[in-house]
Amino acid sequence: MRWIIDLIIRRRRFFSLLLTTVLSILMITAQPGTQLTVTRYLTMTVFYPIYATISQVTGFTNVYSENKRLRQELVEASTQLQIIREQSTENTRLRGLLGFAENMLHTLIPVKVVARDPSHQGRSVVVSGGRTQGIEMYMPLVGEYGAVGKIVQVAQNTSLAQLLRDPSDRTSVMISRSRAVGILQTENGRDFFVRLRNHEDALPGDTVLTSGLGGIYPKGLNVGVVENVDGRTNPLFKRAYIEFAVNFDRLEELFVMHLPPQWSAQRSELDSIKFER
Amino acid sequence: MTKTNSYLKWAGWFVLCAVLQSTLIPHAAVFSIKPDLIMLVLFHLVIKYGVMPGVYVGFFIGVAHDLFSPSLLGQNALSMSVMGYICGHFNERILRLDPILKALLLIAAFVINDTIIMLVHITKTEGTISTLFIELLVVTLPRALYTLIFAAIPFIWVNVVRPPRLVD
Repeated sequence: MRWIIDLIIRRRRFFSLLLTTVLSILMITAQPGTQLTVTRYLTMTVFYPIYATISQVTGFTNVYSENKRLRQELVEASTQLQIIREQSTENTRLRGLLGFAENMLHTLIPVKVVARDPSHQGRSVVVSGGRTQGIEMYMPLVGEYGAVGKIVQVAQNTSLAQLLRDPSDRTSVMISRSRAVGILQTENGRDFFVRLRNHEDALPGDTVLTSGLGGIYPKGLNVGVVENVDGRTNPLFKRAYIEFAVNFDRLEELFVMHLPPQWSAQRSELDSIKFER
Repeated sequence: MTKTNSYLKWAGWFVLCAVLQSTLIPHAAVFSIKPDLIMLVLFHLVIKYGVMPGVYVGFFIGVAHDLFSPSLLGQNALSMSVMGYICGHFNERILRLDPILKALLLIAAFVINDTIIMLVHITKTEGTISTLFIELLVVTLPRALYTLIFAAIPFIWVNVVRPPRLVD
């Protein structure tokens, strides 16, 4: 036994490399579910303070432009609010006339992004709300311009959200104009497209919304705009390449949608889904 | 400088570089090629302290990189620890490295790192080996050269712009 220890000490450089190589290969060859568990654990424990610090510092660099943008948006929002109030009153009156029940709006839980992926292809963010604030798994995360992602892990006061642009994410979306439903995908982590059947109608400029079929996002959340359509590569399917409505590099104040009971009823089935990296 | 201070100094460098990498560096991109400051700091640490810190710090930084990028978990950890191991053999405690040799070693570090990343990627996706050479030529070498320019700035500043005064 002693000679083994002596050998390790004598050849410590080689054994250090061997150790890190074995650990790396174990991580590379691990099942997607295990990889995800390890990733989430490390993101929220060992590496959390580092990314929280980086996120805080990078946040300061955007304060001026952010302030200017928010002021402008406040004016726009107040104007729109007036219009919406008018329309709401009119809507209530018309619904009353038609006998429809009033749609319940989702409660929004305000959260702040406290750590985010510093790379240009960020897949997840850590937000400042957790179990204490009533956040639960698979609740949608939205911003001012539309859907941002979904909560995939909840701690006491923080949560990890998987962004829509995570290459492993599969979100059911639809083209607003033609109501064609497809899956939002990417192959290289940069160009995102909606996979549609070839006969479906999609044109550049069409708005892409969540379809409400995935069981996580409610129907009608803004996702982006179709940039171009490619129907040549596959005889059965076409690709509608989209530009996201949300700027994932500038996420700061967001909202977690507290889902009403009709969504929560599917929780047991959702819990059985394994998210792949 | 005590050991703790030294650790804090290097940790500070890594955090500073991570901040710069995600804020200022994207604005300095030329044809989507960006310098890699984190790799640069890791390289400096490796040639200063040698193999053992190179392997472990490389592994730690690699895992951090893997966690927040779309790459496979363990891919960068493997490449950076191997890079730390190889480049660590050329550390300043053993060899006296002149600037040209350091520059060549930095380029070699990028090539080693990206070759391992691509090999893992090719193995997992059953891709072709030709993509490795294209990637090295189109992405790795320009990235290494661009990083080299950044690495040369403090060197030029100290030796050319403000050369040390000779004291009688």
